[in-house]
Amino acid sequence: FLGAGGGNDIQWCFSQVKGAVDDDVAEADIISTVEFNHSGELLATGDKGGRVVIFQQEQENKTQSHSRGEYNVYSTFQSHEPEFDYLKSLEIEEKINKIRWLPQKNAAQFLLSTNDKTIKLWKISERDKRPEGYNLKEEDGRYRDPTTVTTLRVSSSQSLKADFSSSSPSPWLWEKLPLHILNFFFDYETYLSADDLRINLWHLEITDRSFNIVDIKPANMEELTEVITAAEFHPHHCNVFVYSSSKGTIRLCDMRASALCDRHSKLFEEPEDPSNRSFFSEIISSISDVKFSHSGRYMMTRDYLSVKIWDLNMENRPVETYQVHEYLRSKLCSLYENDCIFDKFECCWNGSDRQVEFLIVMTGSYNNFFRMFDRNTKRDITLEASRENNKPRTVLKPRKVCASGKRKKDEISVDSLDFNKKILHTAWHPKENIIAVATTNNLYIFQDKMN
Amino acid sequence: MLGRGLKRKLSDYEENMAGLSSAFDSSRSLPYPLKRQLVLNMCLTKLQTYKMLVEPNLHRSVLIANTVRQIQEEMRQESSQQPVNICPGIAAAAASHSYTGMESPGIPLQLPSGVGQQESHCCDLRSVEDPIENSLLIVSDDDMSSAISSILKDLDFVEDISPPTCMVPTGDDQPKFPENTGLKLEDDRQDLKGAECVFGSFEISNSTSYLKDLAIDDIFEDIDTSMYDSDFCCPPLMPPRSPSLATEEPLKTFPSCNSSSANNIQICRTDLSELDHIMEILVGS
Repeated sequence: FLGAGGGNDIQWCFSQVKGAVDDDVAEADIISTVEFNHSGELLATGDKGGRVVIFQQEQENKTQSHSRGEYNVYSTFQSHEPEFDYLKSLEIEEKINKIRWLPQKNAAQFLLSTNDKTIKLWKISERDKRPEGYNLKEEDGRYRDPTTVTTLRVSSSQSLKADFSSSSPSPWLWEKLPLHILNFFFDYETYLSADDLRINLWHLEITDRSFNIVDIKPANMEELTEVITAAEFHPHHCNVFVYSSSKGTIRLCDMRASALCDRHSKLFEEPEDPSNRSFFSEIISSISDVKFSHSGRYMMTRDYLSVKIWDLNMENRPVETYQVHEYLRSKLCSLYENDCIFDKFECCWNGSDRQVEFLIVMTGSYNNFFRMFDRNTKRDITLEASRENNKPRTVLKPRKVCASGKRKKDEISVDSLDFNKKILHTAWHPKENIIAVATTNNLYIFQDKMN
Repeated sequence: MLGRGLKRKLSDYEENMAGLSSAFDSSRSLPYPLKRQLVLNMCLTKLQTYKMLVEPNLHRSVLIANTVRQIQEEMRQESSQQPVNICPGIAAAAASHSYTGMESPGIPLQLPSGVGQQESHCCDLRSVEDPIENSLLIVSDDDMSSAISSILKDLDFVEDISPPTCMVPTGDDQPKFPENTGLKLEDDRQDLKGAECVFGSFEISNSTSYLKDLAIDDIFEDIDTSMYDSDFCCPPLMPPRSPSLATEEPLKTFPSCNSSSANNIQICRTDLSELDHIMEILVGS
């Protein structure tokens, strides 16, 4: 099942890869976010060029019961364009920072996408499935033989439903901080956005203003020592949200306590381990992602070297810590020098299911490696997203990094790791064992080996 | 945008730093104060680079600034202890065993923090320090605070504020901002001045300015401008920017970058060196 009890570890197989084959990565093609929708039928990616690409899972083919449907392109559109702020002589990047899906209500799909400045609500709707036009022609325009038309391709269109301008009137002068966080409240009508210093609350029907709920800008800028790095609503409890900081703390706030949540209800922080102290301790403690478990009882944080699971009832330390790439601890100066130490890795839980608690967590690393930790068995695995393993239904071979000493066969030494090949964004299908892993400009889809 | 000379110097510098960082990571014998100085210099370089970026990154700037503060604090604590002139090699070797060991009162240290002491290394350190020596430049606190403050200053502007509106909250507390708008603007204007010395608590002993060494002298030293007179027209090196920015943001690399025509010559110097080169090829000398 999902690795639950009995040690039936998931065996991951390559399924598909999307994107250019070239080693030369076009800047615009760099994937900046990956998100499954609530049913898992749709998978969206955003890229640095401001485009959103949506893949749709094909209905399961009855004849091929041993594999799940493939994901094929369903819709591609330009979500954000580069803008130029003439006042500050600055270009506003069109890079998509986040995509969040709304639950499907009718035939149409809705998603929010944001760049540094503007949040947009998109509606994606389908035209009827009728044999006409695009279904009857090949790509070069010739007409197909009607007898060969076995499936109808559907054309989808997108329309911009709303534009949430974050430069809505606000007394704060720090307008230019980029928005990099976006998360829905469980009603899927309210959502939060956040930049380095503020968290704002929006409603889908109100596009020209937002409500500020957290502001950590100090009165005296000399005192600024901490910024907001991630924020998320609790999945079930009204009015509760958390936000993480660059100092490795997580604050839980309750909006019922006060309109402006500058006082937290809980502060989660692990005391520093003195034996690991270095010049870079604070930098590597900066949290790059926070994700609640689906039950809402736990939350997971990702810092530079580890993934931590916190019990919301225990503030003084995490209940579990998983080392993602501890071998990098002795390379921190080099990683600081080349700025890799500031890479923001995301993390995700396995899909929710009717059973107990989430058992597996996943996060990315360098050299196109990604890691999974099974909370039940305490086992972990390192896998690689590479075109070399691209035989469908072939189980991926676990990878291993040799930290020091004699390198065994098939191991890779730390010094050989390619730090330009980073997996920052990963997503897990909400219901099945299908994962989407983004390398710099390619999207890999892996599935478990169905027996 | 940057002159070729500067680019070359920077990439040399970057290569140096990459080599030094791996030395930091792999060498256990690298003395602690040198390691610390290396990290400090890296931090300051980064802050300076961020300042030249169009979009400064607040998250990184804050993290780096905190690292600098931490190092400064440590250095301050040490220099306030009873100084004993121990050869830096011995002192550093004793210190390099553990970070926390530095604070132990049992190991009083006089660490080389001034530029004068940079020259007088113990001979057993020479082999380690020679490659490092060129990059162990001390930065003046003016450079430091201006580097950080200009990043944060850039994020502040007053021009496009309009009266705010917000959703009426369901709770009893009124939202903080509507009635305080007027006040807030005032506060933030004063913050701009405060922002000029955002991390003003940084105090590093003065010596040669890192930027002076790196940027100005090195760009211009090779260029003989006697051939060129003020009639020579060339495009400015920096892209046109709005006037308000030109005055706010000190362009450290080209301090003479202003609208005065006489100074256009300095701006064009790097272009002129390219012209010089082309001329040489054409003339065949």
